[in-house]
Amino acid sequence: MIKRKLTLIMENKPGALVRVVGLFHQRGYNIESLHVDPVDDFTPYKFIEEQLETKFKENEISRLTIQTLVSDSLMRQILRQLNKLIDVIAVSNEETTYLKGVLLDENLL
Amino acid sequence: MGTKLKLSGADMLMHALHDEGVELIFGYPGGAALHIYDAIFRQDKIEHILVRHEQGATHAADGYARSTGKPGVVLVTSGPGATNAITGIATAFMDSIPMVVISGQVASHLIGTDAFQETDMIGISRPVVKHSYCVFDANEIPKIVKEAFHVATSGRPGPVVIDIPKDMTAPDNLFEYEYPKKANIRSYNPPVEPDENQIERAVTELLNAKRPVIYAGGGAIASNAEEELFRLNEILDAPVTNTLMGLGIYPATHHRFLGMLGMHGTYQANMAMHNADLIIAIGARFDDRITNNPSKFSPGAKVIHLDVDHSSVSKIIEANIAVFGQVKNSLSAMIKLLETKLDQYNKDTLQPWHDQIQNWKSSHGLNYELYKNESDENPILPQAVVQHVYNITEGKAYVTSDVGQHQMFAAQYYHFDEPRKWINSGSMGTMGFGLPAAMGVKFAFPNEEVLCITGEGSIQMCIQELSTCLQYNLPIKIININNEALGMVKQWQDMNYGGRHSQSTYQNSLPDFVKLAESYGHVGIKVEKNSELKSALEKAFSMKDRLVFVDVYVDPAEHVYPMLIANNSLEDMWLSKDKKT
Ligand SMILES: Cc1ncc(C[n+]2csc(CCOP(=O)(O)OP(=O)(O)O)c2C)c(N)n1
Ligand SMILES: [Mg+2]
Repeated sequence: MIKRKLTLIMENKPGALVRVVGLFHQRGYNIESLHVDPVDDFTPYKFIEEQLETKFKENEISRLTIQTLVSDSLMRQILRQLNKLIDVIAVSNEETTYLKGVLLDENLL
Repeated sequence: MGTKLKLSGADMLMHALHDEGVELIFGYPGGAALHIYDAIFRQDKIEHILVRHEQGATHAADGYARSTGKPGVVLVTSGPGATNAITGIATAFMDSIPMVVISGQVASHLIGTDAFQETDMIGISRPVVKHSYCVFDANEIPKIVKEAFHVATSGRPGPVVIDIPKDMTAPDNLFEYEYPKKANIRSYNPPVEPDENQIERAVTELLNAKRPVIYAGGGAIASNAEEELFRLNEILDAPVTNTLMGLGIYPATHHRFLGMLGMHGTYQANMAMHNADLIIAIGARFDDRITNNPSKFSPGAKVIHLDVDHSSVSKIIEANIAVFGQVKNSLSAMIKLLETKLDQYNKDTLQPWHDQIQNWKSSHGLNYELYKNESDENPILPQAVVQHVYNITEGKAYVTSDVGQHQMFAAQYYHFDEPRKWINSGSMGTMGFGLPAAMGVKFAFPNEEVLCITGEGSIQMCIQELSTCLQYNLPIKIININNEALGMVKQWQDMNYGGRHSQSTYQNSLPDFVKLAESYGHVGIKVEKNSELKSALEKAFSMKDRLVFVDVYVDPAEHVYPMLIANNSLEDMWLSKDKKT
């Protein structure tokens, strides 16, 4: 078990955070710490806008960071489960980023 | 301009459902849903089916969805109406069935005040839905309906809840109605077409396998991949096994079909999986009822895994080659490539593998035609009941089932040649599913034979729906395999708890099912002797326009075999009460 950091970009919609936290609880993954911020500077996320052919507007998305204690094999499963949540736009750990089903080889968030 | 319709939230909801192609809603009214019920009354495009319990509504919508491939639609009120629907929502979720559940909610200004019949439906349903919506602005009703159906039916299907506070459907607030042509959810795009590289790698493995097994599950049915699967195997000529959820996706009477695999799978299916050198998993997810102990699962096999859901691949069993996409599309791509390489493939190399499988089948395959030697000195065997039903209906019926031994006997002995005809709660194992699910199927296919193979335990969990069947004249046939016990529980107690039957029998308290059926306005037939069985079943199926409840008393001591021995491999099975592999 090692401490890992996950970053999520998600729709700022009611219930979105509960779905993420609920998933950790439901699947037996632990949360060491959790932090949410609204995103007001979209420059780092241009690649998402391009990939999804969208434009983010004010108050539309938030950024969530979670520290969790997991094994490597579970890490991939957590990423895939989070990526499956409809309100989650992108999720990364230190090495990879899932952008709605597309696996990118580095941490872009 | 000014041509747009002005409608209340409730009327917009009905218009949106109609524009979405919905024909049937299964539901039950109550305070928070009354504006919607009034809108139902004032329209004639969508039929509403009044069930007797919200659980029945969800299972009926589920049966409709499983048999047609179209989403089932449910409408319930807030509070107890919503909570009663949860078991059925969870059942659909666990089996990836498309469903849209609309729940009334207390008015927005009352939310959070512990108002009468207030429950947090979004919260309660969250772990068992694919997604959910709460309507905060009535203007959004058409868009939310469009999105809900899109999410429920695309990718890996599942149930979606729309919770609607009562004020959102108030009759005096009118809005301009327009139904969106497309749902556009930027954060949702499930894969459709597979990656070409992965297809190439998969085909290379297919060409070189000596002991391949095709293992297809419910995902293949969800993707309507039966033709592609059949075509693939015209080329490969490999043995095929199906999960409990996949039965029918490959014709059961085909000589390459091994039967179901897993916990109560056939000897040959489990042996073939264990000894395979290549497993082609198609819309199946290596559930614990399939793998037994994952660390001992099929030690020599490479795995090609086709699935639409990333998180299902390499979750339990690591895939050597993962192919993400609609499995129908992935299979097509594989076929297309294979067809260019037919000169590199020789079916005959599989002959030793087929011979081996034939050996397994002849040594410990299921016992066919069990009923042939039965006399009245012996009790009726539950397997024989299913075999008779199979023969009388010529294998063509829609069969729903409940949960327990009868379900496993139905899965083993009714041979499905087509998908969407075997309707059962696989992952959730929900007792009470069978009868309401059969109603949903019968609404979708009024001219087809629809039957429910159930047990006296399960049928009592949604028995009230017999009244719905009378109201809507649904001539379903109910085959109650009555072993006067919670048979599957009792079997586990026999095998693992020294035969201590804790709370698995009813001490002579069962109802008279014949009278019970009659009091609901249907026909009841009781069968106690082998010599009466066939003619009683024939009589039941000859009554085309009546619901007939056939209560068959069977041998209470019978167990389901084969049965995997827990924590071992797929080779380790009980074959009968006193024989192991
Ligand atoms: C709602 C629900 N409660 C409990 C169970 C656990 N369970 C599984 S099979 C079974 C017995 C079912 O009895 P019956 O319907 O008579 O079928 P049989 O096994 O006797 O054929 C029980 C209690 C379940 N699957 N579903
Ligand atoms: Mg029973």
